[in-house]
Amino acid sequence: MFSKKRTIDELLNEWMYDEELKQNIIHWQTLDAKPARFATLPDQLHPSIVKALQARGIEQLYTHQRQAFDYASTGRSFTAVTPTASGKSLCYHLPVLQKILEDKSSRAIYLFPTKALAQDQKTDLNDLIELMGEEILSYTYDGDTAPAIRQKVRKAGHIIMTNPDMLHSGILPHHTKWVSLFENLKYIVIDELHTYKGVFGSHVAHVLRRLKRICAFYGSDPIFICTSATIKNPKELAEKLTNTTHELISDSGAPVGKKTFLFYNPPIVHPTFGVRRSSILEVRDLATRLYEAGIQSIVFAKSRVRVEMLVTYLKSLTKNKIQDDSIQGYRGGYLPTERRAIEKGLRNGQIQIVVSTNALELGVDIGQLQACIMTGYPGNIASAWQQAGRAGRRQDSSLIIYVANSTALDQYVVNHPQYLLGSTPEEALINPENILILMDHLKCAAFELPFSMTDSYGEFDIQQLLEFLQEEGVVIKTSSQWYWMSDRFPAHEISLRSASQENVVIIDQSIPAGTKVIGEMDTYSAMTLLHEEAIYLHQGTQFQVEKLDWEEKKAYVREVDVDYFTDANLAVELKVLNEDKKAEYKAASVSYGDISLLAIPTIFKKIKFQSHENIGSGKIHIPPLEMHTNATWTSFELPENWSEEMLTSALTGAAYAISSFIPLYIQCDRSDLSVVPQVKAVHNNKPTLFIYDSYPGGIGLSERVYDLLVPILEKTIQHVNNCPCQTGCPSCIGAQDSLSESKHKVIKVLSILLSEMM
Amino acid sequence: MSYENKMMQLKQMLGKTVDKQSEKPMFKKPDKPEYLHRWEKAGLAIVENDFGVLFKREVEYPMDYVHGDFPLSMFFDALTKWQGTNIEHPYSIGYDEQVVFFDTETTGLKGVGTNIFLIGLLEAQSDAFVLTQYVLADPANEAAFLFESKFWQQKKTVITYNGKSFDWPQLETRWTLNQHLLPKLKTHRQIDLLHSSKRIWKNNLERMKLTQVEEEKLGFKRSGDIPGFLAPIIYTDAVKSGNPESLMKVLFHNEWDLLSLISLYIHSTNLLLEGKTDEAATTYTNIGKWFGDLKHTQQSDNVLLNVTKSFNDEEAGLAYYYLAINQKRNKQFEHAANSFEKAIPHINNREKLKAFEQLAIIYEHYDCQYDKALAYTMEGIEYISTSHFFKKEQQQKKIAEWTKRLKRIESKLQRK
Repeated sequence: MFSKKRTIDELLNEWMYDEELKQNIIHWQTLDAKPARFATLPDQLHPSIVKALQARGIEQLYTHQRQAFDYASTGRSFTAVTPTASGKSLCYHLPVLQKILEDKSSRAIYLFPTKALAQDQKTDLNDLIELMGEEILSYTYDGDTAPAIRQKVRKAGHIIMTNPDMLHSGILPHHTKWVSLFENLKYIVIDELHTYKGVFGSHVAHVLRRLKRICAFYGSDPIFICTSATIKNPKELAEKLTNTTHELISDSGAPVGKKTFLFYNPPIVHPTFGVRRSSILEVRDLATRLYEAGIQSIVFAKSRVRVEMLVTYLKSLTKNKIQDDSIQGYRGGYLPTERRAIEKGLRNGQIQIVVSTNALELGVDIGQLQACIMTGYPGNIASAWQQAGRAGRRQDSSLIIYVANSTALDQYVVNHPQYLLGSTPEEALINPENILILMDHLKCAAFELPFSMTDSYGEFDIQQLLEFLQEEGVVIKTSSQWYWMSDRFPAHEISLRSASQENVVIIDQSIPAGTKVIGEMDTYSAMTLLHEEAIYLHQGTQFQVEKLDWEEKKAYVREVDVDYFTDANLAVELKVLNEDKKAEYKAASVSYGDISLLAIPTIFKKIKFQSHENIGSGKIHIPPLEMHTNATWTSFELPENWSEEMLTSALTGAAYAISSFIPLYIQCDRSDLSVVPQVKAVHNNKPTLFIYDSYPGGIGLSERVYDLLVPILEKTIQHVNNCPCQTGCPSCIGAQDSLSESKHKVIKVLSILLSEMM
Repeated sequence: MSYENKMMQLKQMLGKTVDKQSEKPMFKKPDKPEYLHRWEKAGLAIVENDFGVLFKREVEYPMDYVHGDFPLSMFFDALTKWQGTNIEHPYSIGYDEQVVFFDTETTGLKGVGTNIFLIGLLEAQSDAFVLTQYVLADPANEAAFLFESKFWQQKKTVITYNGKSFDWPQLETRWTLNQHLLPKLKTHRQIDLLHSSKRIWKNNLERMKLTQVEEEKLGFKRSGDIPGFLAPIIYTDAVKSGNPESLMKVLFHNEWDLLSLISLYIHSTNLLLEGKTDEAATTYTNIGKWFGDLKHTQQSDNVLLNVTKSFNDEEAGLAYYYLAINQKRNKQFEHAANSFEKAIPHINNREKLKAFEQLAIIYEHYDCQYDKALAYTMEGIEYISTSHFFKKEQQQKKIAEWTKRLKRIESKLQRK
């Protein structure tokens, strides 16, 4: 057994001559190192800042950092697109610190998407301030802030580091306690801008409109500084989020180390059905090679279940060593203390392999990793680059392996490396116009300050909406103004993170006297992951859900040791409420509008590890969840001589194929948009495909689909045609039961639609 | 129609505005609400000032007016009692202070969206106590309402029930929102009788609601009172309907609250400064402990000794305990040991363990009676292991600490 330590370059040299491995590597690309580009320090930069930078060995700035400083000092809001480890924090620290040194009454808010990121940045900023030798007070303000120091933070803090949730429910509704902040607010820094998309982004857009409204009341007009990972539309996103015009900085001057990308496709094990070896097993083997070579690596997997499966597999590498924690999982649902311990273990090298969901994509500081494996395509280019950026943060050689799943999108990407390496990333969309979200925040805004009869809110004209709130009995109208008047506290009723507001708490009752909470999950996911008898995996340990108290949102679990996992089905009913846009063709139509949907969990299956065979099933007893959302749908005439059965399988296959290609155009997870076929839609009795936003009220994704339907259909047909399988496989139209004509039928359906629309 | 369906309809009405950043208009006096005269008929006077309009109700109470067990004039006796002692106490008031009893009613519990709609003030004048209640005419006339409270004018001593954490911060919030119109709010001395009640009646009263204190301690029982939590709905309804009928009941509720503050201040002063024993041992023990915490050891000793004399040993258990702590602080180790030993059979949990510990310390370090020190250490360990009061980890940690002590004393015993 050889397990000597090697560098990335040595390891790659070995792999070049490894015939077995090479067969599966579809593409091997090396991205060369890029040298740094520098600019001089600005003349007006305060001597204390210069001193601090010099202490860190910084004599010049990267070009993008200088550009950031220049924009800020001329009073322009801007968005800087910066790759991982390009010194993005100086893009905002420098202008903010400079302003505070020029005028000690100045204040700034730093907004991070999570508490953990704020904690991280605070350490970094405090180090810098200490080197400056100036008295500048920076504090984190979140749920963990001790009550004793809150007053001090509110009155004296120059820089407040917080998250949108705290701003929403802890700061804005109490703005009178923050007078010195709001009267002197010069900068609002929004880090990780690209994370503000979808429902969360739409909510945050309103939190920022409320913030600006309060600033205006106290007479301040802050400048926005945003930093973002690479997305297609950073400027547009920033402008929509902040309702402010932005300059864009997109040319990074930071150096980049040599990166090697491997595109790895698992071998075909069943040629007729086009079945490939499981990507999980391939990743297990690749990660084992990295582990044995002593290379610190991160493995990304798309779902919580996959993370746990991989951790279970990989931990067998260390099972003979006592107290060896060198392999760890990391995902949402772990408690904060667990997470902090893992982050620390990564930084100090105690942990050699971490298996994570996209939770570690964000700027959580875990130091330098050498290699990254992506189990399946993360769904969009921006995420892929974020994940890849976790390897080789500090200019060293690094290795990124993309292991394809057998899904259509994954197969497309592994066979078209240029798609990932060469093209522009997707758009990030938000929809502040979502009426449900807008009304929620209008209530909060009315609570925070009265509206006059001529006021607007953000870019919205809201007088009629206030009229509605009056009917609801929460505001009253005097001769000149609308006033909040209710004993409710609206911010507490509104959660920014998910449309369904409550989380299900997971309680471990393995030890009757020592029950404890081990995690939580949003209600929508809980329907399919925490139903009774479900196997829930946490840190590689299996738990069975013994009782699900849906009313109280509690799931009681007990530790078990079984050789299967569970997989649940969700049935969906759809109804059209309102048609906003419609394009009619001879025998088909495309529409966009509001729909209502009923999600009903039906059955779950028990699936055996390794062999993945179905070994049992059961019914799920959870009430249906109703939701109103936006959708694009397309209906067409039934081709002659088609039975309903044929149509069902053709539509199901078409839906499967289409849903795979939407993420090529719009930055969203596959689960953000759903494609559901109806053989006879309720509203017109025609075969119809619905593509809807998976969030109440919609977030603008399906509206983009309305405009992009033709290219999506084109891509889909091309891919299904080119797929090497004979009758359809998981890589194109989904697994098929029989040797039917499905593949042919799917192409037929798609071609009908496309030819109508061309 | 469901909420969602209504929303879908509203969506059609959603318009967008082009940027029209206009300058803030100069202050214009808000319109008067149309129900002005209906509220006047119900017994509220209309007051107008530079900022708008508000309502006012005034009631005069002669000095001999009795609320519960106390005539109001006893308030001045209470001041005299404080002057007669040389104790610096957070509840002592001087003759030169302008005292105002203060209580508000609000439309909610917290946040900027919560309005104060009633400010109640009760002040002593030369020959009477005068109640003044200001009522918010509507939210548009808030500056007028706040201005009239005169809290910007003169420094006063403000006496409240839970005002430190509720009424006063709320008033500050409202003031901040109107800071562009109003003169600056003054900083006043705050005396919160909820805090003193908690110190005096801890473990004696189950809840510290003012109505409960009234019934059990002040000899006052309300009839026909509206519960405080209805106040927000009643005010909102009065503004919407123009009908002030229920609103007047909120004013009476507020009036009782204020009158009870006077009685409560009188009664608390008597308990603190007079050696009477009408109340349970717990109350006087609490008072003794409070003086101790304020470092008025002499006063504390007096009160606690009085408890040990007036009540049986069981009732006086805690009093002995606190007395012991005072005595040890004053290096009267023999007395302290005696008092701890008296206390031990009648106290529990944290206090009992601390008593064992203190006895062990005294006998080990000051008295050098190692056998006694050893006995108390063992009793302590026994108590930790059998008591259900401590959490598991706490228990283990404590046992480890105590075992160290045990070993040390044992070795001292051997050397002897």
